[in-house]
Amino acid sequence: MANEIRLLRFLAQDMTQAELGKRVGLTRQTIAAIEQERYSPSLEVAFRIAHVFGKRVDEVFHWSPPDGGPG
Amino acid sequence: MTLIEKRAWLTLWTMCPVYLVYFAIQVGWPDWPSGFLAKFGLLAAVAGLHAIGYIAGELAFRYRNREDGLQQDERDDAIDARATRAAYFVLISGTILAGAIMPFTDRGWKVANTALLFIVLSETLRAVLTVRGYRRPALAH
Repeated sequence: MANEIRLLRFLAQDMTQAELGKRVGLTRQTIAAIEQERYSPSLEVAFRIAHVFGKRVDEVFHWSPPDGGPG
Repeated sequence: MTLIEKRAWLTLWTMCPVYLVYFAIQVGWPDWPSGFLAKFGLLAAVAGLHAIGYIAGELAFRYRNREDGLQQDERDDAIDARATRAAYFVLISGTILAGAIMPFTDRGWKVANTALLFIVLSETLRAVLTVRGYRRPALAH
């Protein structure tokens, strides 16, 4: 799932992956996997990540259907 | 690399070689070594070698692991659950074969080795699926 986490971390005084992981209850490796779109987090974690940056979930994560229709 | 993935690699590196040698001996030279104690000694040596390798690796991971805090999260749980589910079916198949069918057709070491083979196969599958899970895209539970 596409996301803006890397950009949002940069804008949040270059927050590290480990620091973000600590705040949302994930390992640094899982934050890296989410950023690289190798892992789609649970809804609860998505909300927690968005909360850390003070954003809505849809401002952090972007989903588009496989058939290319509107997301 | 997460601790779970390191453990999976450790299982593959410590378990597969020793049991590969063990089962090669069982297939190639089924009568060697002769006698219960000698055969049991061979199995104990193989199991001991595996245990020593695994414990040494685990201690090395703990000694070298400098990361604080969380060691396992929802992604690790999801990967582990998927790998364990597949390994469970292999183990159940082996249990049915070695525990419910073979006692009526075979006996002794053949039954024991079949059970052992399925334990090794299920653990190997679990480790392989765990390693693969960290490399492929995955969803949460």
